[in-house]
Parts: sequence; structure tokens; C-alpha cells
Amino acid sequence: MNRIFQRCFKAVAVVAFLMLVSPQLSFGQDGEALFKANCSSCHKPDVKYVGPPLKGAREREPEKGWVYKWVHNATAMAMTDPYASKLREEAGGVVMTSFPDLTNAQIDAILNWADSFQPAGAAKPGAGGATVAPQSNHTVLYGMLTLVLAIIAFVLLQVNSNLKKLADEHDNIPGKQPVPFYRNKAYLLVLLIGLFLLAGYFLVDGAMGLGRQQGYQPVQPIYYSHFVHAGVNQISCLYCHGDAQNSRHANIPSVNTCMNCHMAVKEYTGEPLKRADGSIVDANAEIQKLYNYAGWNPDTKTYDRPGKPIQWVKIHNLPSHVYFNHSQHVKVGQVACQTCHGEIQKMNEVKQFAPLSMGWCINCHRTTNVQFNDDKGNGNQFYSLYEKFHEDIKEHKYDSVTVEKIGGTECGKCHY
Amino acid sequence: MKKSKILFLLLLISPGFVILPGCSSNREPGRTYMPDMQYSRAYQAYAPNNLKQDGVNYKNWPVEGTIRRGDLFPYTLPNDSTGYRLSAQVKNPLPPLTPAQAKEAERLFNINCAICHGEKMDAQGPLSAGGKVPAVANLTLKQYVDMPEGTMFHSVTYGKGNMGSYAPQLTREERWMIVSYVKSKQLAEAGAAAPAAATSGTSTGTK
Repeated sequence: MNRIFQRCFKAVAVVAFLMLVSPQLSFGQDGEALFKANCSSCHKPDVKYVGPPLKGAREREPEKGWVYKWVHNATAMAMTDPYASKLREEAGGVVMTSFPDLTNAQIDAILNWADSFQPAGAAKPGAGGATVAPQSNHTVLYGMLTLVLAIIAFVLLQVNSNLKKLADEHDNIPGKQPVPFYRNKAYLLVLLIGLFLLAGYFLVDGAMGLGRQQGYQPVQPIYYSHFVHAGVNQISCLYCHGDAQNSRHANIPSVNTCMNCHMAVKEYTGEPLKRADGSIVDANAEIQKLYNYAGWNPDTKTYDRPGKPIQWVKIHNLPSHVYFNHSQHVKVGQVACQTCHGEIQKMNEVKQFAPLSMGWCINCHRTTNVQFNDDKGNGNQFYSLYEKFHEDIKEHKYDSVTVEKIGGTECGKCHY
Repeated sequence: MKKSKILFLLLLISPGFVILPGCSSNREPGRTYMPDMQYSRAYQAYAPNNLKQDGVNYKNWPVEGTIRRGDLFPYTLPNDSTGYRLSAQVKNPLPPLTPAQAKEAERLFNINCAICHGEKMDAQGPLSAGGKVPAVANLTLKQYVDMPEGTMFHSVTYGKGNMGSYAPQLTREERWMIVSYVKSKQLAEAGAAAPAAATSGTSTGTK
């Protein structure tokens, strides 16, 4: 009796477990989940996508139960069945993947869900245009204050000299020959000093700016928006610039990399894009430019003419007497791309974010901590070589090591 | 007096020389001091060169028939239906991944594949979920769980359907690592979903 009970219990437990863990076997058919898992990459419930809309599929089928055969073995059906070959032609010669594992009940659940599908109301426009906090420009404020103070000082000085003149006349002290203010030596001296400082400031500022290109935002041969690709579509920087982790250069992606997605992505449907001067970009024409460079014909889906390279304009230029290695920073140092390049994922047209001056490099090397390998295996194994630092840390001489301590500010690190 | 006038003039004029280039639009790279030091005379990466005109024998391709030291042997099956069929028999040349390699393979998968195939391999990546890239393979489906590793490698190498070739972006070793990672994750999930012999029975030959 007890044994029978145990067996029953085991059987029930197994069935319950299978029901729990396997959606394929579950009896309550969730059409939407099944649709998302199996169909959604080629079908939409209400409109044509790669394949026809699923809504009303059973009303269109030539005979009852046809759809089950089609789903279970589409490849064979496309060869023999006339309606199936018509479907294949409509989809541009592509035959649907067969799903022999879907049961008839599951197919019904999917189609039921599609028949009852109601498109959600027009999606609210996302927070596309992120509002930038207005930057209060202190320089202008200080300049105006200085000007006002200077005018007040000038007026007061004039008043003072006039009053003095009056007092002198009153006391009958013979005054000096009156001098117009523009020949007054004191004024001229102040003006001279002011001009000297101003000229010096612009001279030094301009001279330091020679060879520096902060803010440089060239016009590229194709309007490529990093905001759309890296921001909206969340493509990793390293998808296109993967050599940043392997080599000195963060590579310019080949046209092949663009075509990985743009074989399928033929048009831009997002928010309108603007150039830096405010003009609206015809994004679809820019995609067409890419097809021209690649020699790709989107209608026949073939490369039917010779391609040519895209001559992107390099933005970040280091002088040739500096050695900079991307992999050293990206892979070894685990520095995020945005640290030096700014929030690229928010830039439509990329501009140079950092000054790329030596002072800027050195400041970062002075403050950035080296990611030593810890007990959990995080950080970089290479730094295990720096035994002295590890001992010093253990003896609590310091708790972290900056890049400077491992020689990151020595001349020969970058200039050789 | 005369001296100070000259000084005035100098002071007024001198910043002009420096400011003027700085005032130009940020569409231009600006001026440099001593361009000879700034711009290398040696050829830089991506810069145009005229080695051919100078008669210098330079090839940017490896010599034919050679491979990089430590590299895997080239994949020789052709990009056609015969190659695709034969690829099922190609064995993964890598030994089972170590935990560190598996972590690296996962990272590479998430960078290069997950935008379409999704981090959970359910075809719900940022590009595919919104319907921008259609017809993305849901790698948790049975036909992909059962797909031999060689066929996966073939598809990643040459591209398949809407997917482009990833040979330019990933080395042979990285592609095999990703295939191993996908297989191990598929098997782990299939194993978790159906502990009985529901899925494992069909994919013994490809392990």
C-alpha cells in the first residue's frame, strides 16, 4: 500500500516537475510566449514582416489543418504544395523554418493569440531629445562685472579730479595745466597694463591651443550617428572597434562590419537627426551612401558592383612623437571608452572630447588606480609581478597604487 | 612716447596671429606648431601611402600558405551548400574552455552576437526585439540546440541569411570559443529544462 502510494507520488512529482520546467510540455498554452520564442523574428501578428501576418492565417489557408503541416515541415511543403510555393514567392524565395516540435495545440494557441492581437496605441515618443541643463556662463558674468566696476572707477576718478580742481580754485592754489584723460599718464599706464594682461592671456591660450583639437568635429563622408548606433541600439563600442582591445589602434570598422546589420536594416525609422548646424539629415540617403560604398544592391541582396573604401576623417590625432596604445588602456587598464572619448553614445556627430594634451594624460595617470588582481580573480593578473607593491599594501603603507607609481609618468613610457 | 606706441601696436597685433586660427570652425583641425614634429614622415596606420609608386615591395597580406604563430589552421570548406553540409563533420579544435576562457567567450558573445541573438540567446537582443533586424535565430530552439558545432562555425564564418560574416571581426579561435560557449549554455539550459532524455538523445554525435 505504502509502496503504491510512493510510486503514485513519484509519478505525480515527475509530471508536476515537467510541467513546471518545460514550456514545451506545459498544457496551458501561452500563445504570446510561444510566438515570441518561435515566430517573432520573422512574423508580426498584424502586419507583413519577413513572412505574412499571422492574424487570420487560418482563414487564408487552402484547407483546414494545412497550417499544421506547413509549420511541421515547411521545406517539403514548399516543394509540393501550390499555396506553399506561392507563400515562398511572396517572401522573396525564402522558406520558413520548420518547427516539428510545435504541437497542433501550440500552433492553435499562437494563432489564437495573433487573431485577438490588438496593436498597442501609438508608442509615446521616448525621451529622445535629452534636455541639456543650461550652462551658466560665468565668464560673461565676470566680464560684465569687471566692465561695470571699471566704468564706476573711471567716473569716480573723474569726479575726484574735478572736485580737487574746484577745491584748488576755491583755495586759490594754482592748478596744473589741465590734461585730457586720454593723455593722462596714470590712465595710460592702467590701460597699458590691462592690454598687456589681455594680450598675454590670448597669446598663451592661443599658443597652447596650437596642435590641440579639442572640440574638433569634422564632416564625415557618411552622416554616421553614434547616438543611434551605440546609444539607442546599444551596440557595444567593441563590436565595431574591436581592435581597441587587441592592438595599438582602435580600428575603423570595415564596410563588412556595417553590412552585418545593414543587409537587413534598410531604413531609419527613429527620431529625425540633425547636423551640428541644425539641418535635418536624410538618414535613408545616408544608408544608401553606405550601399554605394559597399557595392550592395538591397533589392537583389547581392554585391553587384565593386566596392570602395569609406575615407572617414580621423578626429583624435596625437603628434607622432607620442606613443599611445589602445589595448594597454582598454584591455589591461580596463578604462572605459567614455573616459577619454566622452559620452560618444549621446553624440550624433563625434567631436573630440578631451584636449589630448600631455597635462591631461599625466593627470589621469596620477589619479587612476591600478586594478591589481584580488583574491576573487578580478583585476589584472599581470600586476602580480609588482610584488613590492603587494607587500607594501599588506603592510598598510598605502591602500591603492596609481599608474604613476608603476612608472606611468616617466618620459620614456610614451616618448620613445 | 613713441616707444609705448610701438609696444601698443605689437600688443594689439600679436594675439591676432594666434587667435585667428583658433577662431576657425570646429570642422577644421586647427593649426599646429612645427608640423614636421606633429605629422610623422613615417607612414601611419590608415594613412595613404605611395609605396607602390616608390617601388617598395610591401604587401599588407600575410604570405600565401602561412599562418600566424600559434594560430589555428585555416577553415577550408567553401561557402556553398556542399560546404555547409560538410561542416557538420568539422570538430571543434579547442579543448574544453577553462572558466577564464568561458568568461572571455561570454564577453565576446555579448559584444558581437547578443545585439541580435540576445544575451539569453532567445533572439531578444536590442536590435532584434524592436524588429530592426528580422529573422534572427532563436538559439534556444531545438534545431539550434541540435546544430553541430561545425555548422555553427561555418555560419559564423561565412554568414547565413541576414547574418553577415564575422570572420573579419573575430579570429578563428575566438569564433570557436564562442561556438563552445553557445553549445555549453544551450546544453545547460536544455539540461535544466528537460532532465529526461528529451533533448540530449539527439545531439550525442556532436559533443
